[in-house]
Amino acid sequence: MSFDRRDFIRYGGVTLSAALFGACDSSGPDSAEKLLKYAEKKNEGVERLIFRHTSMDHTKSNVRAAGDQFPSYFVSDVVPTLDAAGMAAWRLEVGGMVQKPLSLTLDDLMKLDRQTQRVNHYCVEGWTAVAEFTGVPLSALAKLAQADPKAGFVDFQSFDNGYHESWDVESAMHPQTMIVFAKDGALLPPAYGAPARVHSPVKLGYKNTKYLTKIVFMPRQNGGYWSDEGYEWYGGV
Amino acid sequence: MRTEDRHHWIVRVTHWVNAVALTLMIGSGLRIFNASPAFAPKGGTFCCWPYEGRPVPAWLTFGGWLGGARHWHFAMMWVLVVNGLVYFAFVYLHGEWRDLVPRRGDLRDTWAMIKFYTFVTKDHPRQGKHNALQKGAYFVMPWIAALCVTTGIAIWKPVQFAPLTNLLGGYAWARYWHFLAMAAIVVLAAGHVFMVFAVDPWSLRGMITGGENARFSPEARNARPFINLLPKPVVAPAPAAPPAQDPQAT
Repeated sequence: MSFDRRDFIRYGGVTLSAALFGACDSSGPDSAEKLLKYAEKKNEGVERLIFRHTSMDHTKSNVRAAGDQFPSYFVSDVVPTLDAAGMAAWRLEVGGMVQKPLSLTLDDLMKLDRQTQRVNHYCVEGWTAVAEFTGVPLSALAKLAQADPKAGFVDFQSFDNGYHESWDVESAMHPQTMIVFAKDGALLPPAYGAPARVHSPVKLGYKNTKYLTKIVFMPRQNGGYWSDEGYEWYGGV
Repeated sequence: MRTEDRHHWIVRVTHWVNAVALTLMIGSGLRIFNASPAFAPKGGTFCCWPYEGRPVPAWLTFGGWLGGARHWHFAMMWVLVVNGLVYFAFVYLHGEWRDLVPRRGDLRDTWAMIKFYTFVTKDHPRQGKHNALQKGAYFVMPWIAALCVTTGIAIWKPVQFAPLTNLLGGYAWARYWHFLAMAAIVVLAAGHVFMVFAVDPWSLRGMITGGENARFSPEARNARPFINLLPKPVVAPAPAAPPAQDPQAT
């Protein structure tokens, strides 16, 4: 026998432990970085392929709204809050590749045809929260501003210390993607993104910019706060 | 010719690719789980998990941070799916499935193996390529893998595949089933690895080089966990009749 029992257990053991424990307790070998980037790109292709405007989020009727258990987060040191003067000066601008740039006060926004939906909020961490959001579908704002059909991407900017996230326009035009000004029947409190935020069940939470100031239609994506930190840029649900 | 190998090279390659990819998949999955180690939706409760809010030990996780673990998880899923399809195609086309699908009598044979392992009976039941316990485990594994994929799709795309997610009871439940399916794979794999080292370390050779030696089979050794790991000593052949005269010697 060319391969005796000792050899066989030795090599077998080495192979096994190399295979199983070689790269543990780290984020894996650096050489894998490129491969993971490649996989992310390919996954984005698959995700965009299966994306449908007719696929809708439904909440189970027996799941209660999260209410004040809905986690609140922002990247500034304290809750970004506008005082009365700040609220009066606040505008939601819609610009970039549009025929008619918009600059809306909160009143202007609230005068548009509104929609209320009870949906899930999907966090990248794995939890979900149900809430009833009231706002204006982004597709309506895009129509109002006459967005260029060639704009493939949309950036959502905020006054929360530069936080922004850019999206593919298909997800942005999903009927459940809204510019929200009320949650559970009351105007958004500062903790949840007052005066207006993006909310859509078709994107992970971090893509849904709060403390919204500007919506920019663009020919290319420009990353985002968490996307630039290494989370998936697409972040679709 | 290598046609008498215990395992075809396609089976051996897919087995080890599976071992590595599955380990990374489980480790990264546990890291993702730890980002929010609870099943209840915010503001709600979950009936069926006694460890709500308790993360798994960090040393069991892989990927370093949530984003990294997600990248690994969503990359490895393709490796596992493609690897699995290659394996199934081979097993189907090459006829190996006949060694794996349950047959009448398997339940009885399983019972016989259990009785042997628990010292109720003295002799190893007929081993065949796989004994009945192994067959059961190797047959169940792909079904659990299918469950992992199905529940995985349901929590990867709960809106795009809403009907599937709803069928599984909604997002929180689908996530729970995904976790339990993973746990089932861990239990089966742990049992598998334990049995390899405790009963049939010789099978490693079959899964690495493909070679096998009938003298080392569990049946030939009458092996139970930790018992009769070594083959029976070869009994020296009884002295035979004097060798025939070599005509050229005289």
